[in-house]
Amino acid sequence: MSDPSRTYPDNAPIFARKEEGRLKRAALSFAEKLIALDALRARAQPIVDAREERKRIEQGLSSSDH
Amino acid sequence: MSLRKTIEVVARLKANKVIANYAIAGAVAALNYVQPTLTEDLDILVSIDGFASGPSGLLLLTPIEDALARMGYTQRTDVGYLVEDWPVQFLPVGSALDEEALEQAVELNVAPAGEAPLMARSLRAEHVVATAAKLGRTKDLLRIETFLNQKAVDLSRLKSVLERHNLMNDWRVLLMKVGIKDPLAGVE
Repeated sequence: MSDPSRTYPDNAPIFARKEEGRLKRAALSFAEKLIALDALRARAQPIVDAREERKRIEQGLSSSDH
Repeated sequence: MSLRKTIEVVARLKANKVIANYAIAGAVAALNYVQPTLTEDLDILVSIDGFASGPSGLLLLTPIEDALARMGYTQRTDVGYLVEDWPVQFLPVGSALDEEALEQAVELNVAPAGEAPLMARSLRAEHVVATAAKLGRTKDLLRIETFLNQKAVDLSRLKSVLERHNLMNDWRVLLMKVGIKDPLAGVE
């Protein structure tokens, strides 16, 4: 049961700012978006590398099972 | 190493007549209309003119592979040829929708401000969305939702593309799956 006396912060301004950011990014030129995509990819690279590494380990494990 | 350079290489393939025509497709084409989202590869829709088929009927992309190798791009990944560190997936035109999308693609400047313009062909919004409706994978649903939420596609143009390629039913089924009210109902 939720406690009706408990108050929570209003997150609406946070979501509004996020939406504003989304709209700003959507309005960039195609060339600017390509640069943004390169940056996004570079930031995600460690995650991709870790995923690939995990796959390699899992495959190694499963092949040694047989 | 940048996506712009990768696109430059693709444009060079057309300039050198290795491919008759091309257009950026998939997530990078969507980028022109909505906010940037992460993708792992660059999809390039290519005209099938001048390509031979193998014994299985599969189109042979050997001329592209040879031309890329001459430019020094010899590495392949599971998602395509590695060009300037971006995997590029060449997708031969596979339907009337693809054919129309390629023909009507728009020219975009991919050079940053202050540099000489460099034009590249990319799919129109209505073709990006219609292709997503045809494919119907989870990521396509997400793409459709993004285009609709951000009002990034002309609904009247989208409706005529979907009607022309008999995709209205696929469209309705997809929207029903995610509980979105059909925005094309009532659109002329």
